[in-house]
Amino acid sequence: MIGKEQRNRAKEIAKKYGYLPYMIERYVALWGEQEAIQFLEACEQPIKRAIRLNTLRAPVEETLSRLTAKGVRLEKVPWLDTGYIADFTRISPGSLLEHMRGFYYVQGVPSMTVAEALRPQPDSLVVDMAAAPGGKTTHMAQMMNNSGVIVSIEQDRLRTASLESNIHRCGVTNSIVLRGDSRKLDQLGLAPDYILLDAPCSGEGLIALDPSRKRSKSMADIRFCATKQDALLDAAITALAPGGTLVYSTCSIAPEENEFVIDDLLKRRPETKVVPINIEFGVPAYPAPYGVELHESLTLARRFLPHKHNVEGFFICRIEKEESS
Amino acid sequence: MKPEYVDSVQWDIVRNQIDSDYGAGVTKRILGALTPVSLPRAKGISFYLVPTGWLKILDRDFKQFTPLSLGMWLGDLVEGLFRLSLPALERVQEHTSNLLIVSRRGAESFTYGRSILKESVVKIAPSLLRGQRVFILNETNECLGLAALSVDAYKIGRLAKDRLVAKNLVDIGWYIRRLS
Ligand SMILES: C[S@@+](CC[C@H](N)C(=O)[O-])C[C@H]1O[C@@H](n2cnc3c(N)ncnc32)[C@H](O)[C@@H]1O
Repeated sequence: MIGKEQRNRAKEIAKKYGYLPYMIERYVALWGEQEAIQFLEACEQPIKRAIRLNTLRAPVEETLSRLTAKGVRLEKVPWLDTGYIADFTRISPGSLLEHMRGFYYVQGVPSMTVAEALRPQPDSLVVDMAAAPGGKTTHMAQMMNNSGVIVSIEQDRLRTASLESNIHRCGVTNSIVLRGDSRKLDQLGLAPDYILLDAPCSGEGLIALDPSRKRSKSMADIRFCATKQDALLDAAITALAPGGTLVYSTCSIAPEENEFVIDDLLKRRPETKVVPINIEFGVPAYPAPYGVELHESLTLARRFLPHKHNVEGFFICRIEKEESS
Repeated sequence: MKPEYVDSVQWDIVRNQIDSDYGAGVTKRILGALTPVSLPRAKGISFYLVPTGWLKILDRDFKQFTPLSLGMWLGDLVEGLFRLSLPALERVQEHTSNLLIVSRRGAESFTYGRSILKESVVKIAPSLLRGQRVFILNETNECLGLAALSVDAYKIGRLAKDRLVAKNLVDIGWYIRRLS
C-alpha cells in the first residue's frame, strides 16, 4: 500500500510530465523515484530511426553503398547482423527506391532483436502468431533464406493488408498468411518448431513515439491485455512441438504484461522453461517487480529500457517446451 | 476459402496470357520446380506458386482461419483477364525482351503512379507494338512496374515530348501507397 504523501508526490510528477497518476505510482514502486524520473525524461527524447537490411533483396554491402551514396548515415547495431541506426537527414525513409524495392525495412532496434532472439533455423516450421505489419515475419524469412514455412497469423482485417504488402515488397516467398484468432492455433493441427508471439499489448514502451499513451490507457486496459496474452501463450505452448522454442515479446515496460504473465505461464504449464537468449543486449528482466518474488529464471529474459538504451521499451523472453511433453 | 490445386482450364488461360504477353515458354521458366495453387476471391481467383512439399500443409482444414496468401503471388485472373502481380514481375523480367528504359525523372514519377511520357523514354525495342505490356526499368535495369504501350515503339521518335507513351498498369510505389 502506498501512503498519502507518496500518492501526492506521484500526482505532482504526473502533472509535470502529463501522465495519469497511476502510471507514476507504478514507476516509482518499480524503480524508485530517481530512476522513474530518468525514465520520464528519456520518454521526452526522440528515438533514433533504425532500419534492417533485407538480404533477400541484396547483399548488405550493396544496400549500404546505395544508401550512403544517397546521403543516409548508417551505424551498425553491435548485436544485429543487419540492423543499423539510420540518419536519413531530410529524406523520407519511405520515399527511396531502395525502400520500395524492399532493400530495407524501417524497424526499431528492439523489434529486430526479437527475431534475432528466436533465430529460426532454415527449413523449419515457424508460426508468427501476431504478424502484422510483418516486421518480424520478413526478418525471419531472411534468416531462413526463404526456406521452410512461416505461418503468419493476424486477426485484424486492415492490418493483414499491410502484412501482405510488406511480405511481397521484401521478396518473402516462404510465408502462408492467415487471418484469424491465434488463440485457436490448435485448430490448425500444426506442431511448429518455433513460435513467435509478439503479443498485442498496452504499448507502454512506446511513449517516446506516441505521447498520447501517457494518458490513453487505464490499469483495466493493462489487465485486459494481460488476459489476452495468457490465452495466446497457452495456445502457443499447446501447439509448439515438443522441444520447440517460443519467443514472447511486448513493446510494454509493464511487469503486468511481462514478468507476471510469464511467471503465471511457468506455474500453469510445467512443461515450459525460460532459457537464455544468446545475444548481448538490454538488461535482465525483473525477478521481483514491485517487491513480488517471481520465478528466478525470469532474469534470463531481457528488457530494453528507454532511459538505459535510448530505444523503445521492450520485453523479450525465450521459452522452451520439454522434449517429452 | 482454401487454397486449391489449379483448375486446368483456368491454368491454361493464365499460361496462354503470360506466354503471349511476354514470350513463349516464360510461364514454364518462372514455374521451375514450384506448383501453382489458386485461392478463390470475392472477385476472381488469385494464383500462387509454392514448393510441392507444402501441399500436405495446404490440404488441411483451416477451420476458422482464412488463407490470404501463400508462397509467391503470381497474379490474379478476373473476368478472363490475367494480371501479373508485382512480385512476379521481377521473375518474368529476366525472361522477356518487352522492356522500356526510362530516365531518372520518368522513373520517379512512374513510382508515384504516373504514366510514361515521350520525354522519359531512354530505350525501347522498336518491334514492340501498341497495346503490348512492357516492363518499365530505370537506367540501372531495375524493374519499376508494368505499363501498356499506347503507341507502336517505332513511332515514338515522331511524338512531341509531352505525349503519352505507356500507361501505368502497376508500379512498386503501390507497396507504399497501399500502406498509407
Ligand atoms: C505488436 S503487433 C505485432 C507486430 C508484428 N509482429 C511486427 O513485427 O510487425 C500485435 C498484432 O497482433 C494482432 N492481434 C491481436 N490479437 C490477435 C489474435 N488473437 N490473433 C492474431 N492476431 C492478433 C494485432 O492486430 C496486431 O497487429
